[in-house]
Amino acid sequence: MHIEAHNVSLSYQEGTPFEFKAVSGVDLAFAPGERIGIAGPVGSGKSTLLALLAGIMAPTSGDVAHDGRKLGRKPLPGPGSLGFAFQSPENCLFEKTVHDDVAFAPRALGLKAEEVNRLTKEALACVGLDVERFGSRSPFSLSLGEQRRVALAGLLAMRPRVLLLDEPTAHLDPLCRHDIIERLVRLNDETGVTVVMVGHDMDEMAHFSKRLVIMDGGRVAADDDSGRLLSDRNLLERYSLRLPGTVELCHLLGEATGGIVAPVLDEPAAVELLFQMAGGAEGASCS
Amino acid sequence: MQLSSVTIGQYYPGTSLLHRIDPRIKIMAAFAYVIVLFLVHGFGPLALLAAILLAGILFAGIPAVWLLRSLRPMLILLLITFFFQLLFRGGEELARLGPVALYREGLEQGAFLVTRLVFLVLSGFILTFTTPPVLLTDAFGRMISPLEKIRIPSYELALMMTIALRFIPLLLMELDRIIKAQRARGASIGTGGLLRRARAVMPVLIPLFVMSFRHADELALAMESRCYRGGKGRTMRRKLRFGWRDAVFTAVAAAALSTSLWIGI
Repeated sequence: MHIEAHNVSLSYQEGTPFEFKAVSGVDLAFAPGERIGIAGPVGSGKSTLLALLAGIMAPTSGDVAHDGRKLGRKPLPGPGSLGFAFQSPENCLFEKTVHDDVAFAPRALGLKAEEVNRLTKEALACVGLDVERFGSRSPFSLSLGEQRRVALAGLLAMRPRVLLLDEPTAHLDPLCRHDIIERLVRLNDETGVTVVMVGHDMDEMAHFSKRLVIMDGGRVAADDDSGRLLSDRNLLERYSLRLPGTVELCHLLGEATGGIVAPVLDEPAAVELLFQMAGGAEGASCS
Repeated sequence: MQLSSVTIGQYYPGTSLLHRIDPRIKIMAAFAYVIVLFLVHGFGPLALLAAILLAGILFAGIPAVWLLRSLRPMLILLLITFFFQLLFRGGEELARLGPVALYREGLEQGAFLVTRLVFLVLSGFILTFTTPPVLLTDAFGRMISPLEKIRIPSYELALMMTIALRFIPLLLMELDRIIKAQRARGASIGTGGLLRRARAVMPVLIPLFVMSFRHADELALAMESRCYRGGKGRTMRRKLRFGWRDAVFTAVAAAALSTSLWIGI
């Protein structure tokens, strides 16, 4: 699904003294199959932008279009090809069992029982939960990480072509965070589902995103190849974002050796770099 | 509709004359105004009450548009009131269309009641628009503090009010989010037949309940951990003082209201 935003703005409490412009004049286009991260300082309009792109909120001015079809001022009526999650989507779990909660969307879509069961099982497997073990449990008896997985499975069960997730790993333990990011990457790689994620953790972003959009003050401050933006120390600092660990490492190595070390974005590359520097007389990556 | 943008009686920051009046006086004045409003009859005193209201609006420095906009949620109630009076009051016939007759008494009574309701709401709005909620509950707590003598916990009552007021916008915001999130999952909220609608409430109600209990729990824990022990021995940073401005305001308000009462009864 193509998602396009043309000059999109949104003000909260418009026309009152409390008016606050969360998003102003944003132009963006996401192609099918992309893996996009949205980052930026607190209050930069990331979450609002995501809700606008999903059609969950209607812009005060400008247009959002899905596959060229303008959404207009009314929010999307129903589910289907697009899965959207606010922060902490586990807050919206409500059914008696995990299975029923995940099956809620496919049932609402009017699918047959066996189809619903198949989708539910697949969706749960996709987030790393076994339907035999978890299916009959109450969602309220689960840990936070498991609840988050159930909530994400609830979206996946609709078989969306686009996933828009607002900080899907917030408040989770490191292992669970890593696993969820890994699964999102795999989902995108294997099925070509567009995944857009708002996030604060630049290590996760380095791992997850191919393309990165940096928001600041409601506007798009940068929109480029993720690797390029995440290696740009000055840029990230300007928008109070932390460098990914490996980039920081390269920077420190550069300072220590008095040269410039080309930044790398994942751990295996960093290990290789360290080996090279330790083994090679000149330091292969120093220049 | 954006539920979170509901602004009924929301504080309007400012430094107008009314903003600076002691909130206790304002509460009492609004209260007295409402009592007079319901005691008087006839359009004469109503006109005087309208003048008082207008003066209040002017001294509060609130844009009239904003005030009128906050009346919007009441529109249906006002219309229903008006038409009920119009239809179910007998008297002197003014016009007739088939079985439906228009009576003078109905028209008058309808207009009178609607005006009364509008004034009632507006007087309340002037109070809440010019007084931050915290001050409002603070003042309320102090006004009922003499009741401590008969063991009515005034401070706790005021605190409950503050918390309740604080939670309304919070819960509305969450409700808005939950509705949107569940809609995105295919919940059909606010459409379909009665049974369908009733069933569709569950995906919204259960998360909202869970959430409010969690908030209450967290708030209680936070208060405990900061050694909250009720109002006993508590001192206030903000001290309410009755100044010359308040005295003048009280005198003028009392004069205006008793005049309306005098000509209206």
